[in-house]
Amino acid sequence: MVSDTLEEPVLEVGEFYQLLTAHLESEFGRRRPHWVRGEIAKVHEKGHVYVDLVDAGSASSDTKRPVLNAHCWATPWAPLKRKLAAEGVNLKPGMVVSFFGYVDVYAPQGKIGFAITEIDVEGLLGDVARRRQELILRLANEGLLDRNKARTLVPVPLHVGLVASPGTEGYSDFTGQLLNSRFSFDIVLIKTLVQGEQAPAQIVGALESLDEHGVDVICVVRGGGSKGDLACFDDERVARAIALSSTPVFTGIGHTGDESVADLVAHTRAITPTKLGEELVAMVENWYDTNVRYSSQRLLELSTDVLDEAMDYLGERRRTMIFAVRDRLRAEERHLASTRERLVIQGRHLVASAAQMLASNRQLLGAYDPVRRLAQGWSVVTDANGAVVKSLGDVTSGEEIHVLVSDGTFGAQVMQKKETPS
Amino acid sequence: MSDVHEWNDAANELNAIVASFDEGEVSVDDLFAKLERATTIIEALEARLATTKAKVEELTPRIAKVAEGE
Repeated sequence: MVSDTLEEPVLEVGEFYQLLTAHLESEFGRRRPHWVRGEIAKVHEKGHVYVDLVDAGSASSDTKRPVLNAHCWATPWAPLKRKLAAEGVNLKPGMVVSFFGYVDVYAPQGKIGFAITEIDVEGLLGDVARRRQELILRLANEGLLDRNKARTLVPVPLHVGLVASPGTEGYSDFTGQLLNSRFSFDIVLIKTLVQGEQAPAQIVGALESLDEHGVDVICVVRGGGSKGDLACFDDERVARAIALSSTPVFTGIGHTGDESVADLVAHTRAITPTKLGEELVAMVENWYDTNVRYSSQRLLELSTDVLDEAMDYLGERRRTMIFAVRDRLRAEERHLASTRERLVIQGRHLVASAAQMLASNRQLLGAYDPVRRLAQGWSVVTDANGAVVKSLGDVTSGEEIHVLVSDGTFGAQVMQKKETPS
Repeated sequence: MSDVHEWNDAANELNAIVASFDEGEVSVDDLFAKLERATTIIEALEARLATTKAKVEELTPRIAKVAEGE
């Protein structure tokens, strides 16, 4: 065995690689391209891009799984990268991708690799969409799509946390709406990248800081762009940070029609940064209308009502008093008049009764009139002094007396006295 | 007018006077005194009302500004 082995020519390393390359090229053809499909295990970009491709679904713990060291030199990579970025695709571990390229032996590093000349973008997009859908499903299963929507929004969200990149159109559109409104919005800005590889981590940090800061609402704002520009808002870390924020998170990302995973998990989603600003202003405006403007109107109306009511009350009491007093006085006048009338009638009755009594007395007295008695033959005897003689004792025998009769008087003398037998 | 109480108490006193008239409880001797008291209350309340109204009219443009959303 040893002698047989020694019979083979001894090759220098370079010669070995030349031989190897010749064998490979005879098998694969020189730079004859092939499609290779696999899962990205590692990706590294530094001008050129280097990708470790493994069989899809193989376990990373399997130390014997085949690995293809693929690379794409900077020149062919630049247009491919632009194409991928336009569709929002960044090569990431876990992606299943098909590369078009050829076997490439790189002797300086002792590597047999695969030089990429083309990437199946359509297939990759399908994979990205699938992965996005899987993320949405995962978030839904964990109840994270509605978690932030359940956060209670204060009635007047004036203290606004803002995750945005100052100087961008989206930032200006959003802040313009707030600052040009008649309300005093207090904006706490945390600057972040809003596109690129570093953006998700910065956005997550900003969301967490603002959540701790204690704002009324956190707004994530980004103007329109390519799918690649907006890809960071489909990032799982960003989606989870929004969903788990204890503060309601509003999004205004991209143009009409763009819907990121961030939009899906947000409390409220507006189609553009401008619309988000408008919606926030409208919320405050509605509250103001309901609670301040309407209350002011009601206050004015009710104040007027109270005053009018008080004026009506006093007017009515004044009139009532006047009528009450007048009625009372009239009642007294009527009572007095009635009393007066009763007194007059009663007086008349009394006078009539008295007159009748007088007439009766007069008639009675008439019976005792001396003139009538004299005319009937009665006479009145008086002594010398004019005193009426009523008894035998009033005169003495021989005394001169005067006798009054109906038509005159005459003198007489007492001849004898004789008592009337009892 | 200083012995006129707060609005509601004064209104109650005024109502009681009017009620005593309505029920014929006021004698002629009391009539003038009650009428004078009622007049005092009404004049005091009217004065207060005029003052309040003037103050409200002073505030109205300010509230109206809010109500009109200016």
